[in-house]
Amino acid sequence: MSSFPQVAQTDLNFNVKETISHNRLKGLLRLLKGYRLQYAGAMVALAVMALLNTASLLLLRYLVDDVLVARPDNFTQALLFTAVAFVLLSAGRGIFAFFSGVLKASASEGIALRIKDYMFDHLQHLPFRYHDQQQTGELIQRATSDIDAIRRFYADQAIGIGRILLLFFVNFFALLALHWQLTLVSVIVVPVVLVMSLYFFRKVSAAYEERQKQDAIVSNVLQENLTGVRVVKAFARQPFEIDRFEEENTQLFKLGIRFMYMHATYWPVVDLLTGFQMIFAFFLGATLVISGDMTVGTYVSFTAMIGWIINPMRNLGRLIVQMSTGMVSYDRIAEVVAEDWEKLGIKDKSPKEDIEGHIIFKDVNFAYEHDMPVLHDINFEVQPGQTIALLGSTGSGKTSLMALLPRFYGYEGSITLDGIELTEYPRHFLRANIGIVEQEPFLFSRSIYENITYGVPGEVSKDDVIAAAKAAAVHDVIMTFPDAYETLVGERGVTLSGGQKQRIALARTLLKNPRILILDDATSSVDTQTESEIREALSRMMKQRTSFIIAHRIQSVMDADLILVLDKGRIVQHGTHEELMQVPGTYRQTYDMQARIEDELQEELQRAGA
Amino acid sequence: MPEHNQFEEEEFVTEMNRDTVFRIFGLLKSHKWQVFAFMAAVASVAGIEAFMTFVMKLIIDEGVMVQDSARLNELIGVYTVAMVALALGVFTFIFFTASLGQHVTYDLRKKLFEHLQTLSLSYYSATPVGWIMSRVTSDSERIAELVSWGILDITWAIANIFMAFTFMMTINWQLTVMILPLVPILLYVAIWFRKRILIHYRDSRKFNSKITGQYNEMITGVRVIKALNREATSLQEFGDVSRDMYKSSYRAAWYSALFLPAVQILSAIVVGIIIYVGGVQLGDPVAGMTIGGITAFVNYITFIMWPIQDMARVYASMQHAVASAERSFSLLDTKADLVDKPNATDPGTIRGDIVFEDVTFYYDEKNPVLSDFSLSLKAGETVALVGHTGSGKSTLVNLICRFYEPVKGRILINGMDYTDMTIEAIQSRIGMVLQTPHLFSGTVLENIQYGRLDATREEVIEAAKMAGAHEFIENLEDGYDEAVGEGGSLLSVGQKQLISIARAILSKPEIFIMDEATSSVDTLTEALIQQGMDLLMQGRTSFIIAHRLSTIKSADRIVVLENGRIIEMGTHSELLRQHGHYYNLYTKQFRSQRSADYETEGSAPDVVQPA
Repeated sequence: MSSFPQVAQTDLNFNVKETISHNRLKGLLRLLKGYRLQYAGAMVALAVMALLNTASLLLLRYLVDDVLVARPDNFTQALLFTAVAFVLLSAGRGIFAFFSGVLKASASEGIALRIKDYMFDHLQHLPFRYHDQQQTGELIQRATSDIDAIRRFYADQAIGIGRILLLFFVNFFALLALHWQLTLVSVIVVPVVLVMSLYFFRKVSAAYEERQKQDAIVSNVLQENLTGVRVVKAFARQPFEIDRFEEENTQLFKLGIRFMYMHATYWPVVDLLTGFQMIFAFFLGATLVISGDMTVGTYVSFTAMIGWIINPMRNLGRLIVQMSTGMVSYDRIAEVVAEDWEKLGIKDKSPKEDIEGHIIFKDVNFAYEHDMPVLHDINFEVQPGQTIALLGSTGSGKTSLMALLPRFYGYEGSITLDGIELTEYPRHFLRANIGIVEQEPFLFSRSIYENITYGVPGEVSKDDVIAAAKAAAVHDVIMTFPDAYETLVGERGVTLSGGQKQRIALARTLLKNPRILILDDATSSVDTQTESEIREALSRMMKQRTSFIIAHRIQSVMDADLILVLDKGRIVQHGTHEELMQVPGTYRQTYDMQARIEDELQEELQRAGA
Repeated sequence: MPEHNQFEEEEFVTEMNRDTVFRIFGLLKSHKWQVFAFMAAVASVAGIEAFMTFVMKLIIDEGVMVQDSARLNELIGVYTVAMVALALGVFTFIFFTASLGQHVTYDLRKKLFEHLQTLSLSYYSATPVGWIMSRVTSDSERIAELVSWGILDITWAIANIFMAFTFMMTINWQLTVMILPLVPILLYVAIWFRKRILIHYRDSRKFNSKITGQYNEMITGVRVIKALNREATSLQEFGDVSRDMYKSSYRAAWYSALFLPAVQILSAIVVGIIIYVGGVQLGDPVAGMTIGGITAFVNYITFIMWPIQDMARVYASMQHAVASAERSFSLLDTKADLVDKPNATDPGTIRGDIVFEDVTFYYDEKNPVLSDFSLSLKAGETVALVGHTGSGKSTLVNLICRFYEPVKGRILINGMDYTDMTIEAIQSRIGMVLQTPHLFSGTVLENIQYGRLDATREEVIEAAKMAGAHEFIENLEDGYDEAVGEGGSLLSVGQKQLISIARAILSKPEIFIMDEATSSVDTLTEALIQQGMDLLMQGRTSFIIAHRLSTIKSADRIVVLENGRIIEMGTHSELLRQHGHYYNLYTKQFRSQRSADYETEGSAPDVVQPA
């Protein structure tokens, strides 16, 4: 019992996309690829089970007619034979039930695993543009519950319907062989039951949906009450809240009752219907036996088989209705899978091994959505090792401009890196050589150590990690955490302040040691003193690499080799600090404005008598 | 406080606590007759089914075998009546069980919700919302399931086995005694399998929630993954977890697949014995076995087999439900740590001077937030609280609102220790505007009305006008009847704040508390908010956790806090003259706020072409 049959190791890279079809059934059939034999095996096992089941009912007939009633000379022997045969048939049924169960589990779980893996990989390969438009919850739902619905399609529904149909046909033909006239009058109710169960389960699933919706409303009221607890208390509104909850809770109660009453009506009604059908068959059969047209044994196995035909039918409607929801899930998954990947070109060779960092933007235009241009006619040149500052108000296009370098988005016009068009470089190569620190960086709920090493493939020495953390002026902070570098980030560990996050993200990027460094307002939440520490550490590093700095404060950009002033997606000014101070324009305005603030402050302080 | 050592959903407990079980059944007190009704109904169903099998035996033995048509007709008649009774029984038990289940869910949720309303803020800050939600939603459902369908299943199982044995005894007691040992064996096998299935099933659930977590992190962090070229590694990591889940699901399925055949083969052996022994006895007048008897015996075996097989499932879900009940009950048992003193009064008003007298407070003993804090305020004074995050500003506000009470020291309102007043007396007279204003899903009107429930539409509009919110509300498509979305998500932060100011105005508070938004709102809204605040502060003792310079400057008094202590206090100009903390804070704030102001005003009036 300790070892399980070898789990078929599925390929992590099975391409689900190739199986997608507009025809759902076709698509679901293609998804079976590699598991077809197993799945067919499960079905065959079911068929064998149905046959063995009917065989044991026929054995019952033999037992009654040829052994018990006929009492042959070798009576005890025959009896023993039947008893043993019965046990063997059951054992056979058991063995095939086991095979069927294991095969279907292996196939359905395997298929689900494959889709899960693919979906994960697929989502992380979809372009930025796609993720910009999607809601996380919606995608997660597709990746989890919809995939599970597909699993149930294979594990429960398709196989369940197959089982019912197999039972029906095997027993039906056996019945026909026993007594075809009686058989035909005994199954009149089958189509009626089928239609009823379809109708009922469709209704009941709608009622269930409605109840689920109400359930969500109740949860919502509850959640709002819990998150707004201060407001509730501050206005002493507890009684009002109780009433509000009461109202929705009562509605939920009513819907729940309605849903359950549907079941309370359906089952007895269908029981009655099938019951009358069976009594009818029992009665006719018994009459036939009395009139000598049927043997007792036939009668006994006949009545048993009728049950095997009619009873499973009551559930067929449920499976069919559930299957249709499984189909909807297929569509929802197919829709995501049909999206095209961003080509990373991992295996492609880069046109250059080492980047120097000579960048030319020529007539570059860019839009996230058509007709909504974000960048217009961007032209500038950067020499290797230079530091470029981008200045401009929120929404002026600074971040968008920087997102073009690692090819997060496509662009119009030309951007060359060391004389070669960006699109010639594999994305993977560019991203390995460009480091970005964002204003609101994303950290993973792993240890701080893992977060810092996140961007570096392979082993990293602890000293390097600490050096990076020190350069980002975050080492001392980390050491105050309970588990130092092993402290988890997020709910289960420490909640980091905006400035701490920025510094850890900075350490992460510094450790990656990129040839091109982009700091997108990366120290905005860090206090002034720490910021100057960081700047000092950075200035050493920036000497050898091309760097871009996005900032608001003149102080942070003054020393740059080239300052680009952006407004509404255009470069409105460019030059060094000295050059820009010579001409009237946004830069000087900003400078003046900041100076004016100082003046105002002095005035203000004087007025207060300081 | 409940043990919050694990908010991780602990799915099962190994031991079933007897007290908890008794308490669960206590929930049924007011529904006794319903429980009896469905138990009686399901027991009758079991009895009728067993009886119908017995009638089938009679049909064979006394009708078919002896070719007695009259007896046959009679028996078919009996069978038909039994069947109708059966259908009635089925209807009755579903009806009563279902309504009982719904009732218990409803009751529990109601009770939990009402109890939650009495709990203090300290409970809420220590307990994640998700944890509480699960108690109210899924746990209450699981408990209800246990007391309705769980009891039903057990009754059915016992009645079924009992009835089957009774009829078997009537038919042939010797054979019945022979197969009696079947029951414990079957039970043992069933439990053995269930345990194993459960272990793997639980694992699979655990891995499943990990998978969801990984998806979540991948999708929210997809930009970083891309920027850092982590795709391959992250897929590898995901693959490990998804394979773990595959393995445990597969193992659970493997045991399930083995379980049914094992039980079936066991019962087949019994059936074999029945056939052989029964067959041998056939015609023996003492043993009294008949052909109908043998077929009935074979059928009765299924009567015994199914419930036993099912009982293992019921037992598992019982364990599950008891664990749920323990958690839910722990919530119900949580006492509010802030309750009115027995002799607490409502002084009728809380206008007057407010005095903090040597107040010490901490959430957790090791980290005192306020120590020996003293401060007195004149009635009608406006105090601006200034300081870094964690300096104790919010705690101070929490204490005034009596969301918490001082651990040491006193807070006097109008000379009276405020713990001698009822909590309601204080909280119903405080108006509060939070930094991230909380709105409830519903209309704008309903949200403002929250300040005073019996306010008329006109009064609401009046309040909105005073708050400066009227204009933007009128511009909404449905005006005051516009739905604000979940948590007010369809409105901007500034708009939400305006509505919450209107809400506070409507409640005519005697003390006003405001936690200013740090996030920037547009200049116009900003001015409107300021105007609304001024109105609210007039003639009311007000505490403002201030971020805007204008607010700070206009306060009667500025209190600068650091590490729970007042380090500076005075008016704006007094404090500036000191060249201390306030001076530094102010100059820094001034720079960043003014530059932000300039930026939002829309820069670059004269665009200059690149040089």
